[in-house]
Amino acid sequence: MNTMNSTVTSNNETTEAPAVPVQDERPAETIIQEGVTVGSPYADDPKFKLRDVEVFYGESRAIKKISLDIARNEVIAFIGPSGCGKSTFLRCLNRMNDSIDICSVKGELMLDDQNIYDPKRDVVELRARVGMVFQKPNPFPKSIYDNVAYGPRIHGLANRKSDLDDIVEDSLRKAGLWNEVKDRLDATATGMSGGQQQRLCIARAIAVSPEVILMDEPCSALDPIATAKVEELIAEMSESYTIVIVTHSMQQAARVSNRTAYFHLGHLVEVNETDKVFTSPDHELTESYITGRFG
Amino acid sequence: MPNRKDDVYGDHISGKFNDELNELKTQFLNMGGMVESQVEQAIQSLVDSDGQLAEKVRLGDKLVDKMEMDLDEEAILVIARRQPTARDLRLVISVIKMVADLERVGDEAKKIAKMAIKLTEEGQAPRGYVEIRHIGTHVLSMLHDALDAFARLDSEQALRIMKEDKQVDEEYQAAARALLTFMMEDTRNITRCMMVMWVLRALERIGDHACNIAEHVIFMAKGEDIRHSPMEEAERVVGR
Amino acid sequence: MTDQRSQAEIVRQSLKRRYRKERRFRLYGMTAIAIALLSLVVLFTDIIGKGYTGFIKTTMTLEVVLDGEQMYLDDASDKDQMSMADFQAPIITALQKHFPEVEERKDLRELSRLAGSYASNQIKDLLARQPELLGTTQTMEFLVHDTVSVYVKHADNPAYSIRLSEQQQRWVDELVQKGVVDTGFNDVFFSRGDSREPSNAGILGAIVGSLLTMVVTLVIAFPMGVAAAVYLEEFAPQNKFTDFIEVNINNLAAVPSIIFGLLGLAVFIGVFGLPRSVPVLGGLVLALMTLPTIIISSRAAIKSVPPSIREAAEGIGASKMQVVLHHVVPLAMPGMMTGSIIGMAQALGETAPLLLIGMVAFIVEIPDGFFSSATVLPVQIYLWASSAEQGFVELASAGIMILLSFMITMNALAIWLRKRLERRW
Repeated sequence: MNTMNSTVTSNNETTEAPAVPVQDERPAETIIQEGVTVGSPYADDPKFKLRDVEVFYGESRAIKKISLDIARNEVIAFIGPSGCGKSTFLRCLNRMNDSIDICSVKGELMLDDQNIYDPKRDVVELRARVGMVFQKPNPFPKSIYDNVAYGPRIHGLANRKSDLDDIVEDSLRKAGLWNEVKDRLDATATGMSGGQQQRLCIARAIAVSPEVILMDEPCSALDPIATAKVEELIAEMSESYTIVIVTHSMQQAARVSNRTAYFHLGHLVEVNETDKVFTSPDHELTESYITGRFG
Repeated sequence: MPNRKDDVYGDHISGKFNDELNELKTQFLNMGGMVESQVEQAIQSLVDSDGQLAEKVRLGDKLVDKMEMDLDEEAILVIARRQPTARDLRLVISVIKMVADLERVGDEAKKIAKMAIKLTEEGQAPRGYVEIRHIGTHVLSMLHDALDAFARLDSEQALRIMKEDKQVDEEYQAAARALLTFMMEDTRNITRCMMVMWVLRALERIGDHACNIAEHVIFMAKGEDIRHSPMEEAERVVGR
Repeated sequence: MTDQRSQAEIVRQSLKRRYRKERRFRLYGMTAIAIALLSLVVLFTDIIGKGYTGFIKTTMTLEVVLDGEQMYLDDASDKDQMSMADFQAPIITALQKHFPEVEERKDLRELSRLAGSYASNQIKDLLARQPELLGTTQTMEFLVHDTVSVYVKHADNPAYSIRLSEQQQRWVDELVQKGVVDTGFNDVFFSRGDSREPSNAGILGAIVGSLLTMVVTLVIAFPMGVAAAVYLEEFAPQNKFTDFIEVNINNLAAVPSIIFGLLGLAVFIGVFGLPRSVPVLGGLVLALMTLPTIIISSRAAIKSVPPSIREAAEGIGASKMQVVLHHVVPLAMPGMMTGSIIGMAQALGETAPLLLIGMVAFIVEIPDGFFSSATVLPVQIYLWASSAEQGFVELASAGIMILLSFMITMNALAIWLRKRLERRW
């Protein structure tokens, strides 16, 4: 009996125990089966229904047949080693990959039963529903007010100045930033601290009232205190938004998410309840990654 | 994945982390060996009415207690420094809990040694030594096998130990019944027979602790907690 | 142990060598800078030394008796009489008052040459404006003759006195002593167009011509350059054709400027029939020349806008157009403006293409519009520098100083803009 093996590969093992347990000598790549995800990748009545998603950069296939459901109002974390495709996959969810000419996406990507990649679909409308927060805090070099008001302005969400004021205040409150900046809304946003800038970016994303917020390593440029504040914010927001977060910090994934998805070389290896992933993951690769045996 | 024949856990990127986990395992096995010999010597002293050996066991328990505290500290440091996850987390948590079991086993050994001292002073009990030796050997091998299963992360062996615990319980009950009958026949020996009874009880408890350790080994290997579950559940988990 | 010590020894020795090398390298650099600075100092001393006199004018103040009989004039409002009258006579009379001993006709002529050739015109102009002054005595300030002016400005240098006879030199010395001949700030230089007479020539015409030309260049080149850069950088597909365009733009930036002059001659004059030597034509040619510079610098500025800003805007749902207009172009603007200003400065100093399209003509009038004949600063300098009269040499140097100060101002503006606008970033 191979004690190291996981569910997928240990099915054909006999019950005869060898004297010394033998480790699987096969390279990690061969243990993954294309299109097979261990754990519970599916959900009832999902927000995103993604089936057999493939992403190509020119000839090379960056994402290989991934199927996944993202439930309503859940926080799902994407983890995995660098270059595993988690960011690429995340960017498919609001078509941020569109601006890369050589990038093409195949498969079924449904947001509330509407195809995201429908050629007739307006990407602007999609992005208003699926907001995004980036790795580096990237406020516009404008005032704090204008940063938050930009989205509502271009989408025409507010007709009067007072409506816009309300949206700005509401968004900043939700992002936990209102008390810090209410006296200096006209100050330029680039003068804020990194953590404040990132929360401003979150407020900016919230301002267009999206249903889903995608976060691409939102805390990688922040200090621990700022990180804690953003994580607290994610926990609060999870009540009203579906949040997909890519992170390199496994502790962060463990802290903020309900479910965790492990990506490896373009495959979705395992999706499980976060608690399960961090105590006893089903797949050997997941285990090796989160315990720091490779990465 | 890197593989060393003597290490079933695989290597971390951080060699220091490896060393710390290995240190934890080694210390735990050392303590296990110490406790094992405590039990063995306690039984020996009782059977041979060797008061000096019993006294040595009684003092040896202090060392076991110290080892327990050292191991706990080591485990806490690993958690604080490394925030272990998955397999490593299960290892550290299991070690913390198994250490408590080992410490209890040490206490039982001390108890047996105390009985040995009393019985040496008061004269041997008329009966029960055969049972003590028999059950003692059995639980000793269980304890040994449990530590061995931990060292090799062998859930099959751990399952066998869990099954053996049932036998120990039956043997204990049979021995207890026999002693009880004897006590009813000859009421003068009740005090000494009660001592033998306590020794038997202690041995049975050692078997339980060995069984606990085996359960933790399965948790470490399979990631599922099978304590307080029926045996079929344990078999299912191990057989996966 | 011994090994270690010797190793440390080796390292120490190599360190010494390294430091020596470093010092030598630094010395080379400092020498290069010193040579450059020295050349600059020499250039500036030369130009300023020659040119500062260009900003000084020499005048003589005379009591002029506007005697009608002497001028053969009895009614100053009569145009026919005015055109026939002799306005030189009152000046000679006025000068004669200072030197009563001069009576011979030859000497009188020499004496009259001390006054500038436009002195008689000055009297004519005065009478034309105020005919009633005929017969009165007026105190008037005249520009002295060019040779006198040079002589006075360089009193200590005999090389500048050869154009005057000894008699004239004596007279001038006496007049200077009496305070009749005096020097002052050369307002003529800044208020007139070109002239055949150095002391009467000004640079205003060239300045105005340059400004008009630059306005045309800016209005054409900046919007076109920015639009081309934005399209190429943001909207154009990446293919062979755009690569081809890009290579050609880079090549255009390296094309000798005279080629653009030929192009202007052939296309704008030949095909479109634009008049020669007008600011519009010059502006068009210079715009063509500046365009590649503006496009290249604008593209660099657009490229330097961090992609995170684009992503941020796209992530909120801004369309491509909104991303470009709301974020990319405003952020790239300082860089674009800097590039444009430097391109304009380059155009301001350009001569060759303008020579071909006829902006090298001798133009006295200050241009009053985009379609009036004009010349520009560098061409004016070129004209003066190639003139024979000594007075033009100092004017050319003065012109160079004006041109340089324009350039420095523009470059300073570019730096200021960059510092000012990029700080927000």
